[in-house]
Amino acid sequence: MSRRPSFTPKIVTANHLGVGDVVYLSASGEWVRDLSQAELIEDEAHAQLRLLEAEARLHEVVGPYLADAAKGPTGPIPTHFREAFRASGPSNRPDHRRAPPAPATPKPIMTHREAEVEGAL
Amino acid sequence: MYQYNDFDRAFLAERTAQFRAQVARRLDGSLTEEEFRPLRLMNGVYLQLHAYMFRVAIPYGTLRSEQMRGLAYVAEKWDRGYGHFTTRQNIQFNWPKLVDIPDMMDHLETVGIHAIQTSGNTIRNVTADHFAGAAADEIADPRPIAELLRQWSTDHGEFQFLPRKFKIGITGSPNDRAVTRSHDIGLRMVERDGEPGFEVMVGGGLGRTPLIGKTIRDFLPKADLLPYIEAILAAYNAAGRRDNKFKARLKITVLENGLEAFRDAVEAEFPARRAAFSGADQQVLAAIEAQFAPPEFRGGDAAAYEAARAADPVFRAWADTNLTAHRRADHAIVTVSLKAHGATPGDCSATQMRALADLADAHGYGELRISHEQNVVIPHVPRDALPALHAVLKEHGLATANIGLASDIIACPGMDYCTLATARSIPVAQAIALTLEEREAEVGPLKIKISGCINACGHHHVGHIGILGLDRAGVENYQITLGGDHTERAAIGERTGPGFPADRIVPAVERLIDAYLELREGADEPFIDTYRRLGMAPFKAALYDQGNVSDAA
Amino acid sequence: MPRDLAPLDAAAASTPELVGRAAALNAAYRHHSAFAVMSRALDDPGVGAIALVSSFGAESVVLLHMLSVMDRRRPVLFLETGMLFPETLAYQQELADRLGLTDIRLIRPEAAALSAADPSGALYLRDSDACCAVRKVQPLEQALAPFAAWITGRKRFQAGTRAALEFFEPDGPRLKVNPLAHWRPEDVRDYMENNALPRHPLVAKGYLSIGCAPCTTPVAAGEDPRAGRWRGQSKQECGIHFVNGRAVRGPVPQAAETTIQTKADTMTETMPEAKTESAPPAGHRIARDDGFRADDWNAPFEPLANLNEAPAAALDLPSTADPAELSGRLDDTRIIRVDFPSFADGRGFTIAKRLREMGYQGRLRARGLIADQYAMARRAGFDEVEVSDTLAARQPEDQWLARANWMAHDYQARLRG
Repeated sequence: MSRRPSFTPKIVTANHLGVGDVVYLSASGEWVRDLSQAELIEDEAHAQLRLLEAEARLHEVVGPYLADAAKGPTGPIPTHFREAFRASGPSNRPDHRRAPPAPATPKPIMTHREAEVEGAL
Repeated sequence: MYQYNDFDRAFLAERTAQFRAQVARRLDGSLTEEEFRPLRLMNGVYLQLHAYMFRVAIPYGTLRSEQMRGLAYVAEKWDRGYGHFTTRQNIQFNWPKLVDIPDMMDHLETVGIHAIQTSGNTIRNVTADHFAGAAADEIADPRPIAELLRQWSTDHGEFQFLPRKFKIGITGSPNDRAVTRSHDIGLRMVERDGEPGFEVMVGGGLGRTPLIGKTIRDFLPKADLLPYIEAILAAYNAAGRRDNKFKARLKITVLENGLEAFRDAVEAEFPARRAAFSGADQQVLAAIEAQFAPPEFRGGDAAAYEAARAADPVFRAWADTNLTAHRRADHAIVTVSLKAHGATPGDCSATQMRALADLADAHGYGELRISHEQNVVIPHVPRDALPALHAVLKEHGLATANIGLASDIIACPGMDYCTLATARSIPVAQAIALTLEEREAEVGPLKIKISGCINACGHHHVGHIGILGLDRAGVENYQITLGGDHTERAAIGERTGPGFPADRIVPAVERLIDAYLELREGADEPFIDTYRRLGMAPFKAALYDQGNVSDAA
Repeated sequence: MPRDLAPLDAAAASTPELVGRAAALNAAYRHHSAFAVMSRALDDPGVGAIALVSSFGAESVVLLHMLSVMDRRRPVLFLETGMLFPETLAYQQELADRLGLTDIRLIRPEAAALSAADPSGALYLRDSDACCAVRKVQPLEQALAPFAAWITGRKRFQAGTRAALEFFEPDGPRLKVNPLAHWRPEDVRDYMENNALPRHPLVAKGYLSIGCAPCTTPVAAGEDPRAGRWRGQSKQECGIHFVNGRAVRGPVPQAAETTIQTKADTMTETMPEAKTESAPPAGHRIARDDGFRADDWNAPFEPLANLNEAPAAALDLPSTADPAELSGRLDDTRIIRVDFPSFADGRGFTIAKRLREMGYQGRLRARGLIADQYAMARRAGFDEVEVSDTLAARQPEDQWLARANWMAHDYQARLRG
């Protein structure tokens, strides 16, 4: 059993078929737009089952998949920067953000060479 | 300029009706997502990170003012009030609902624009020199040929499911502003013994295997164009690889089989294709050419322009960077920068679109262009109208004087929008533009191009400074290439070494600029020439040798 | 060391001649692609009579698709162990139909051997190796008797023990060909995506690996893809490597044992005598400009390869065919059927166009398209499209008739004049 890595928590996410928005599967089986309302799945078998259920709903969503997530103060938070962008919207259009910036927000693009003297940010 | 005729309009109405039905059939289960995907793609509909994306073609980059207003209307009614001009003379709307897109198509049809074949494994929107019909160095206007190719490739039954996307670019000028050698087929209009024809190049492309196109025919008579291109497509459709999507472009087919073998296959196919054309295409072409007759130019008073130039340093700075010589001395080609410092390269609000349309009507014979460098061009402006035009541009945040300078950056949408991206591009462009703003005039001509993944939509390979964003172990990392060139002196940039994390890429670019300013032999030696003279070593040293090695990852 | 069942074929060691032949083939094909290895192996005299052994598992469709493109009459051996997921059986039918494979041989355990070794269907609980032996190793060994070589989907990446896998391996009395030996997971994924191949239904439900139902667990992200097989045991190979797919347990682990017990019992009762049989062809109809009609061509289509021997009234062309090679040989041909291995693979349109350019005036039929491509097919020169009953249920006649107006709004016709 030593080959088996520990399971990292997951969320089920997809895009809404008719609209295209990022959606997440909630514990009650609803597609929700706010990551913090998604179900954080901490059991591998349950994750497979939830994905299976999502795959049966291709009349509602496109491309459901399991994404890594972690437990945050008010619900799941992303662990990879791609999911952070999916959750928060494009970084160049703050007005189009859907939700508050997630803790996994990637490094800022520094505009000045001050970055060099500040050390590792 | 080309006006849709009854045939074009009927075709488009039918096509939109088909797409409307396809959306309904996807929703009712008649089409699976797997089946629907290529169908929506060939109608310009992607699913991006946050939403669907609708990519509309600006064929050969030419727009009439009412078409620009049509785009503004669509942006406001069905999107979020702006559009994004791309590196392939398209405009993208980033927030449409799938169910609204057929309505958007219907509206665009009323002004004579469509989204057909802006994506998918099809023959894509044909691109052309954005100064066509206006440039002083032009031999012939490529747009009638581009329009002929648009009609020929549209809904071509044989070529809707090619091994991979297929791009055609055409230029009528020795200065190759259409980057023809990085297209699957590049066409250069030439003459031989007084007879018009084409030099035909194949197998160019950027992406993960950047290759410069090779000449397959040095002179193709004008009337042979469509059958010859059809023969190229047929040979490619049969021989292109379908086992690996990264080896499916024509450039790989040519590379693997050799140019000679591919040419043999094309020439073997050509006679049958040629025989099928009765000459009707040349009649259609003649009718198209008539529609591209230049506008009735009025005289432009150069004295008024010179007076304004002398009186207003802001106007002068703008005129020095943003104007290009027109074939008439009393006119100028105006490039309107969509690269205000700190803005998203290529983004244009609906209000700005309407302002541009109004300016084109007031001062530019109603004509607009979109360049592959993500700017808007007003191709024919009498010189005396330039001060008034500049004043209105200023009101709309469109008067940035940076064309061809460091902040005139090409950037793909990157991780902020794109599902394929591995890192962000737009914020990098924004930060570089802000950082270099104060000294870019001193730095002079410089092409910085940024892609957010290896597919190279930001053309980083041909940037003087190219930046490629990658995902390294869950962290954004940016590789730099130097010495790329997108012009007739086409060259692929060379990698400097290890990449830089997001918070180190802008300082790295600054060090390159510092090094260039120290190394150049005077202000009239541009960055690319200094690089060609000295090679990689001094720039590499500037990037990695001054205690900054820890920056690189 | 795994308590791995010693491969049956290891007992009969390969002859030095075979070992040398495999080495020579590996040298000759060292720099070839999977496609080239597979395609040449089918006819290389150094290989001999050959069959594809397929589990119709998660990744099997790649080799099945390649075979269908090269020559779909070649034998495919499918091991029905009696322990497979019902989804696998349905998928096998779907693929056989979609890819037009004409010689799929169902290999089943001998009833007598099964009732002796595993009367309750629960042998896997006590001794999974013995279960593999009776359900897989022995039946396959029998089925392979007429062949000198067999093709497998094994890949280096699949398990640590396979890291040195070569294209050609001596394996007991015969040669084993592993065209995908060098493929990485992304190659497999790309191939399936690029050719729009149908996925095993359980993959869509989150399974990475599909074989016999009872013996495995799911594979976690980042884990060795075959780690899900025989989890908890040290076993990694079933002794004969007969599949490229991989097994997982049922979706609801708590219920798996009872479910499988029931299924195994049923299978034991209904299992026919061990024999080989062809999968039944699925029904189809023809779409023309006036709608659907029954297929009125009742004679068999000859594969392209048979054209060498005699003229064919009805000819099947794969998407790799070069019509130029048929020049002057189609005088007796009344109907040609061009195969689209996937609707997203448009080679068949150029084949049709070229056949018409050569002057072929007989009937031309496309197979493998969807309703939205009807007009494209007609414009390329096809007369009709063969529509499977499955597709017709989803895309009924009106959706095909919607593009019966293919002559209208045709830019190319207008430009050719």
